[in-house]
Amino acid sequence: MGIRLYKEPQLENPILAASWPGIGNIGIIAVDTLRGILEAEEFGEIEPWDFFYPKRVLISKGVLEHLEFPSSKFYFKRTAGKDVIFFVGEEQPTEAGRMYAEGKKAYYMANLVLDVAEKFKCCRIYTSGAAVALTHHTTKPRVWAVPNSESLISEIRGYGNTVLMSDIEGRGGEGNITGLNGLLLGVAKKRGFEAICLMGEIPVYLQGLPMSYPKASKSVLEVLTHSLSIDVNLDKLDELAEKTERRIEEFYRQIPLEIRGQLDRLKHVAYAQPAEPGPITEEEKKRIMEDVEKFFKKRGGGG
Amino acid sequence: MNREYPIKIYKKPNLGKASLVLGWREDIGNLGRKATDYLNRKLKGREFAGIEPELFFSLGGVAIENNLAQFPESKFYACQEHELVIFQSDFPRSEWHKFLNSVLDVAEHHCQVKELYILGAMVSLSAHTVPRQLLAVVNSAEMKEILSRYDLAMNLDYQTSPSERPTLSSFLSWVAKERNIPGVSLWVPIPFYLTTMGDAQAQKKVLSFLNERLDLKIDFSDLNQAIQEQNEKLDLARSRFAQIDDYINRLESNLMLSEEENGELIKKIEDCLREGD
Repeated sequence: MGIRLYKEPQLENPILAASWPGIGNIGIIAVDTLRGILEAEEFGEIEPWDFFYPKRVLISKGVLEHLEFPSSKFYFKRTAGKDVIFFVGEEQPTEAGRMYAEGKKAYYMANLVLDVAEKFKCCRIYTSGAAVALTHHTTKPRVWAVPNSESLISEIRGYGNTVLMSDIEGRGGEGNITGLNGLLLGVAKKRGFEAICLMGEIPVYLQGLPMSYPKASKSVLEVLTHSLSIDVNLDKLDELAEKTERRIEEFYRQIPLEIRGQLDRLKHVAYAQPAEPGPITEEEKKRIMEDVEKFFKKRGGGG
Repeated sequence: MNREYPIKIYKKPNLGKASLVLGWREDIGNLGRKATDYLNRKLKGREFAGIEPELFFSLGGVAIENNLAQFPESKFYACQEHELVIFQSDFPRSEWHKFLNSVLDVAEHHCQVKELYILGAMVSLSAHTVPRQLLAVVNSAEMKEILSRYDLAMNLDYQTSPSERPTLSSFLSWVAKERNIPGVSLWVPIPFYLTTMGDAQAQKKVLSFLNERLDLKIDFSDLNQAIQEQNEKLDLARSRFAQIDDYINRLESNLMLSEEENGELIKKIEDCLREGD
């Protein structure tokens, strides 16, 4: 069980951007879209056998031809800004029916990813995921940034459309990031890598739906590409976001009028300057959350 | 226990060119368990090794079935004079690759196994009066050639749909292929209304193939008797309940039943089969 590198590219202090699937697939769409736009070249993988159950079998004329496992691949790209290594994990190595990776296997996979980062002398790790927020799907998702080192906070404050946990009302700078998109950040800290997790906001009422939320992926990518000094065209992501928006609107229209009325008020939630009184009070937000939860419980888990 | 090598060998069998027959205990119609039990009984299989459960099963308590506490089992039996190794196991719940390699480690390094036969069943929508066909998926062209002279359906084209995952038998067959062990997954269809109670005819189908292929010289008179009893009970159910007869007639004419009708047929047949037990 380990890493298989097909080639060893010469890279100059690259950054590593890693992601696995999660809520709304926000992180993985962001990282994988950038990988595609930059036409990054595959150069290695983490062997899947001990992490995953196979996902597909191909039998042809009675002969078992191929068994396919979820992939965990490395790609590289030399750019005018910074050299980049991408890591895209098709699945999180979950155990015993859990939704996200945790425990021994997750820790081992995070370390394998960082072994590659160490081998190529990566100077920074980015991970990406979702931030479930009291926002509305018609508003532009912001990016919640969580660094693993104090020294990165001032840099993050310079990013556009980005907030630190301490900027979010009621959080007091605290929270947690589930699964490998979060764990990698911690393991990176343990091994002395500086790392930032960029999380695109997804409205609380969309978190359980079996659809991706590319609008938030775009917000993440805007921050990531700015930080990497890479200029890319994100039109494809806009197209994807428009398609998803139509499905979300269809779903939204099915929500009972009373609850929809409450959710509509989220259009006016102002987070950016928490010192100012927003148009919705904290109590009202709490009530909206309760109503939304009740509605999804009735629907059988929100999907 | 050595966590990295979870195999316990109690007594190494003296085998030269053995075949491994494997059955899963929780298979459809309990086919894997029943067929391997039958082989062990007929061929006097002796337990000689096991796989420790710690790495592969959730041990947060025990399941209770038929009033009895259960515990995951993964056991090897040797039938020395027939050059046969039998492995019967519950489905592992994690570390599948390590588990399957442990099975093949015992087979290859302790028993000199040269061929692998994986038993399995699948749900069929046909009536029990339709002759059982034995479907075979091999892991090499060489094995296909070897098995071509047997009465097997060997031309399946299949790809897992996005909502499904491959079976553990396919996973094992692939691990064996990686280790250059020729193998075959055998699949026998069991009518949907016999999947809980079991289907003696399906057992006979798969065991007859093994008997012929491995020259086991098994006397099937007891299994033939079980088939006859099963058929008599099913005939009786048809004569007692016109509705059941109608449903089975329709299945025999390749007509589909509604979900409700399927449910009724399953319940009535299971009740009838239990009555005589």
